[in-house]
Amino acid sequence: MQLQKRRIFYAVILLLGLVWIALSAETGQTAPTTQAAAPQKGFRAPDFSLPGLKDEAAISLSSLRGQVVLVNFWASWCPPCRAEMPAMQRVYTTYKDQGLVILAVNSTIQDSQSEALRFAEENRLTFPILLDAEGLATRLYAIRSLPTTFFVGRDGIIREVVIGGPMSEALLRTRVETLLQENP
Amino acid sequence: MLPTLQIGPLSLQTPGLAVILAIWLGLNLAERHAAKHGLSGETLYNLFFSLLIGGLIGGRLIYVLRFPQAFLQSPASLISLNPGLFDLAGGLLTALLTGLAYARQKALHLWKTLDALTPFLATLAVGIALAHLAGGTAFGKPADLPWAIELWGARRHPTQLYELLGSLLTLGLLWPRKAESTPGVYFLRFAALTSGLRLFLEAFRGDSALILGGLRLAQIAAWLILAAALSLLAWREKQT
Repeated sequence: MQLQKRRIFYAVILLLGLVWIALSAETGQTAPTTQAAAPQKGFRAPDFSLPGLKDEAAISLSSLRGQVVLVNFWASWCPPCRAEMPAMQRVYTTYKDQGLVILAVNSTIQDSQSEALRFAEENRLTFPILLDAEGLATRLYAIRSLPTTFFVGRDGIIREVVIGGPMSEALLRTRVETLLQENP
Repeated sequence: MLPTLQIGPLSLQTPGLAVILAIWLGLNLAERHAAKHGLSGETLYNLFFSLLIGGLIGGRLIYVLRFPQAFLQSPASLISLNPGLFDLAGGLLTALLTGLAYARQKALHLWKTLDALTPFLATLAVGIALAHLAGGTAFGKPADLPWAIELWGARRHPTQLYELLGSLLTLGLLWPRKAESTPGVYFLRFAALTSGLRLFLEAFRGDSALILGGLRLAQIAAWLILAAALSLLAWREKQT
């Protein structure tokens, strides 16, 4: 009898589970997270506009909609940041014609423009290096440790956040390839 | 929410730290109670390391097979420490296979072994909840509640706290006492509680993968596991 009661209890639990699944279905009335901007996977990448390392015109993230963007926060004194740059350069050379943009945001508020420039020239970096002199983007993206990299899809949604480094070349290649294959 | 902890030049990633700590505490707890399930602590550790090594190597190899071109272009990445270069489902599968191979070689009793692993698994679930809390991942949907938390630009259900409370409750309910008379019942209760909890709490998440009609995929998976656990439980309980 005890056993019988317990089985009925289990069956009731499973039935309630099905009801709960139906009740908690997302009907689309609540705003999807993709409309809000936040430095987290699944959200729209917060927009910024920053000048280039050699005083080029400012580049804004929102102007790159339709392309796959890798936003990499770095500083010249940070060893893992330095270590992953050559791999980023190789991946950029391979995929830039297919729609990859790399924005290497130098957290200039905790670095110096001349050091950043020297590092970029030593490594022959050809992707845009942006200067975050006042730390606006660094704060907007809640950067706590360097490097931190955001993989942004063609739709402007953050697909992955990689905190720390160095990222290996294969990691960059596989993520970028997957994002490039998505339809705009 | 504190994804990294800065200690001098060292930047520690708190989510990973929480999981590693939970693995260590969980193994200790499981080891102290393994004898009740007829397992030596040493066997338990060996089983764990065969699961771990099988999972790590298998997960990486399967990832490499998915993207061979990327690794041909940078073979050094094969041994990269990036956790992102890892196929989770593949890793779980190979961990299971190496675990089964080890259990077979040592002629371990399936249900007793699962029971012996249960305190470890229940502690690990707490560690995962802490990792979600530290990283602000597995976040809730927007809510206008007195206990809502401000996260990612909105006031949301504190799903990480719900998960933490739920997993602590599960660990408390299943805190090792004397062994159940029927092997397997202890593990199946853990499986039922954990899948039931996920089924319930997933409703408050803001990051659920949705399928047709807005159903939450994780809830359907959790329901299937719950159904399997309860069916097996009903069957095992009959054996007493």
